[in-house]
Amino acid sequence: MFSRNKTQKPSVSTDMMKKQKRYEALVKALHADIFRYAMWLIKDKAVAEDVVQETFLRAWKSLDSLKDEAAAKSWLITILRRENARRFERKQFDLVDIDDVAVADPNDFGDVTLEHRELRRIMSGLSEEYREPLMMQILMGFSGEEIAEQLNLNKNTVMTRLFRARNQIKEALLGDQTTGEQVNG
Amino acid sequence: MDELTFRRTIYADPNTQDPDVIKAAMDDPSKQAFWDEVKALDAQMVQAMNIPVPENFAEKLILRQGMDEFTQRRQKRPWYVAMAASVAMFAGIGYMTLLAGDNGLANDVFAHVSHEYMEKEIMMSGAGVSNDKINEKMATFNGKLSEEIGNVVSANYCYLDKIKSLHMIIKGEKGLISLFIVPDSESKELKEDFSKDDLIGSSFLLESAKIIIVGDDKSEVAKLQQTAKAAFTF
Repeated sequence: MFSRNKTQKPSVSTDMMKKQKRYEALVKALHADIFRYAMWLIKDKAVAEDVVQETFLRAWKSLDSLKDEAAAKSWLITILRRENARRFERKQFDLVDIDDVAVADPNDFGDVTLEHRELRRIMSGLSEEYREPLMMQILMGFSGEEIAEQLNLNKNTVMTRLFRARNQIKEALLGDQTTGEQVNG
Repeated sequence: MDELTFRRTIYADPNTQDPDVIKAAMDDPSKQAFWDEVKALDAQMVQAMNIPVPENFAEKLILRQGMDEFTQRRQKRPWYVAMAASVAMFAGIGYMTLLAGDNGLANDVFAHVSHEYMEKEIMMSGAGVSNDKINEKMATFNGKLSEEIGNVVSANYCYLDKIKSLHMIIKGEKGLISLFIVPDSESKELKEDFSKDDLIGSSFLLESAKIIIVGDDKSEVAKLQQTAKAAFTF
């Protein structure tokens, strides 16, 4: 214990500075994407903010394990999903199935055009098994292989879910249009 | 490529680079139109997903980490560091108390020799002060002034760090010099020599009293010290 501390001491402050710089760069580059992902996953702004804070704290603590900056995005998503899952472990008793909560508060998602609002409603209405791979693909730009790895699924399953996700969105949009026409008619 | 496979592939990944899909779209305009439509939907979804991030969120995250790091380090401090810290703190407090006692008196001495203060004193006492007048006040300290110590322009009681003293202002050749008389029992902590900025202070024990002399000229302070040693008796 003593010897370990001793050997580290001379370079500790410069190492800390480097780590701090690296961390700040990571936060600045990816906080927006990670927050948006959390919002789409969690659908509650306050909780999403909390989970993202926890995510970045974890990231700071294990920053040395991130060897390649290019993998930072998927590394953070892995941490985020784990943090989000922990939230349910902690709150086992007041657990609410997030997919049962009708739709997210539209105000949480900011002011948008009617068209986007509608699309958002449909997307947040997708079940998580479809919503998550879709977000990974659209928002994070992950490939089918990367999504498969994140969700611990095989690639074919992922591609099927992505297909179904878009299919459902398309149908929902068409359904809206039909309803619209009926109302107008 | 059949219609269903084409649609499935496009729906799963609108940005696919699959050569079969690309060829099928080139061969069939309706397939290309379908592909464009899905791409347009994706573009809309990208925009719809682009929700605003809370203000200063990045700064908040960095700050949060800094705070966490700070508390972590505090918690990680081993017991002997905490022990050393508390020992150091008590030693510090003890030393400060010692210093405060000393500095308190010395600081008050310097406060009483400021130009403003002395001017006020001199104005109040008028012209010169006779030895008789001084001796009336010396009685408090069971002391007596039997020789001339110079042109005393003011002699008044004043409190130095709660200690009653007699403050005499003497007009020297090069400026004003102050002479304080304090009971020795209450001024043991004061050093023999002390100074602040341009002022030089010197104190010496004369039987039961301590005489403090402060001025801005070292030789005058030393000269008055010699004179005082012979002139005062306690």
